[in-house]
Amino acid sequence: MRKAMVLFACLFAGTVWASEQAGGHGLANEDKDAEGEDVAGYILHHVADSNEYEFEVPLSHNHIPIHLPRILIPFHDGACTPVADTHGGHGEVVPGLGAGCLDLSITKHTVMMWLAALLLIGSLLIWSNRDKTKLVPRGAGANLFEMLVLFVRDELAIKNIGKEEGPRYVPYLLTAFFFILFMNLLGLFPWMATATGNIAVTCGLALCTFFVTQVAGIRAAGIGGYLKHLTGGVAPWLWPIMIPVEVLGLFTKPFALTIRLFANMLAGHIVIFFLLGLIFMLRNPAVALVSVPFAFGIYLLELFVAFVQAYVFTMLSALFIGMSVAMGHHHDDHHETGASHDHGKAHHLG
Amino acid sequence: MFLPSVLAASSFVEVRPGLIFWTIVTFVIVLLVLRAKAWGPILSLVEEREKQITNAIESAKRERAEAEKLLADQKTAIAEARREAAESTRRVQADMEKFRDELMAKSRKEAEELKLSARREIEDQKAKAIAEVRSMAVDLAMEVAGKLINERMDDSKHRALAEQFVQGLPSATSATATRRSA
Repeated sequence: MRKAMVLFACLFAGTVWASEQAGGHGLANEDKDAEGEDVAGYILHHVADSNEYEFEVPLSHNHIPIHLPRILIPFHDGACTPVADTHGGHGEVVPGLGAGCLDLSITKHTVMMWLAALLLIGSLLIWSNRDKTKLVPRGAGANLFEMLVLFVRDELAIKNIGKEEGPRYVPYLLTAFFFILFMNLLGLFPWMATATGNIAVTCGLALCTFFVTQVAGIRAAGIGGYLKHLTGGVAPWLWPIMIPVEVLGLFTKPFALTIRLFANMLAGHIVIFFLLGLIFMLRNPAVALVSVPFAFGIYLLELFVAFVQAYVFTMLSALFIGMSVAMGHHHDDHHETGASHDHGKAHHLG
Repeated sequence: MFLPSVLAASSFVEVRPGLIFWTIVTFVIVLLVLRAKAWGPILSLVEEREKQITNAIESAKRERAEAEKLLADQKTAIAEARREAAESTRRVQADMEKFRDELMAKSRKEAEELKLSARREIEDQKAKAIAEVRSMAVDLAMEVAGKLINERMDDSKHRALAEQFVQGLPSATSATATRRSA
């Protein structure tokens, strides 16, 4: 208790001193802005994707850039010729898909994603090569892993999709959960980046869930039932209103998945960087007394968020799949006897 | 403010189609590899374990029920045996009682009969003895009388006389009684 109080007093004194120092130095506003822009630029550069991986040498200002391979597929001749950046940036950029150029370049986040995938596959292969005659898991790692697997199977798949159809989607949900978890956690290591903090990555993952959801709906209701469901079950003269609404509804789900995961993963990192950046913006090492503990707290929170966001993504995927599966049961009432509770829940939430 | 300009220049809100492509490709590969190599074995392992645990619990329940049934059976068997033993003891005792009574009755009857026949024998012997004594008394009297009347008495006439005399004597018992009273 006394220790905590002393620590708190130190932090408070540090903050006061830091602000007085900043005032005392009488920094000009433009100077502050310039400093801020510098830090912000650094942070946004750091969390953004890029065509090169910069290895930051510890305790020095050196960056060793590793250029990653660029793969450009032009749809017509000269479509991928770099043009001047129109967004006020410097240098040249490759035209986008609209201009007829598909940029399949390997980027920093692609590398991080592949690293996470390799780590995931590697650790799971090591796990599955253990002695299979022993049914009981040994050690903290094996127990935690099995706990997560069983959680995804029982609490996410079976509860949201139902007892009969649920097991079919367990491999998908498990892969989504662990892949996202590994990408989230990888970003918390030094020199690494968070692939899930990139909107394209989360968009790709959400598209996978979107695809699985539609396939589940067609499997459950048949192609006719699936299309019928898109009309919302209303009178035909209302279809021109209903169909766009339902189609929009189809796309808002993956959109929500995309934004939620991306924003959560990005925000935590930006907050950590800004807390640390305060030291440089205020040009005072004493700020570290405040910002380092805070950044450490946010870091721990990030560790938690890494699990929570993997869980949320998987849970929502299971929920969407469950809603699609339940769709089939509306047109086919005698199926509903056994699993009506599970589907009922999914439908209410929908 | 500096932020909007930085945001505009930054590439983190830009959606790169290439990265979406790589994400989907990577995800599908990871999914296929893990489904073949990891999820199948892990899930079957977990299911196997669940099955074993369920079986173990089931068989434990079954064995317990069997043991309880056996115990109940044995208890009833013991009670039955005890009841039978008591019953047979009781029956043996009753038999013994009956047998003893019969034996007693029989022996009593035999003794009675023996006593009766002995008495009859005694009566017979007594009657025989009395008759003998009587005839001896007649002979004795006749001899005495003959000797007394010079041995001349007509045998049949005198015998009738003597018998008449003997008949006039009191009977054996009354004779003893008179003798005693005298």
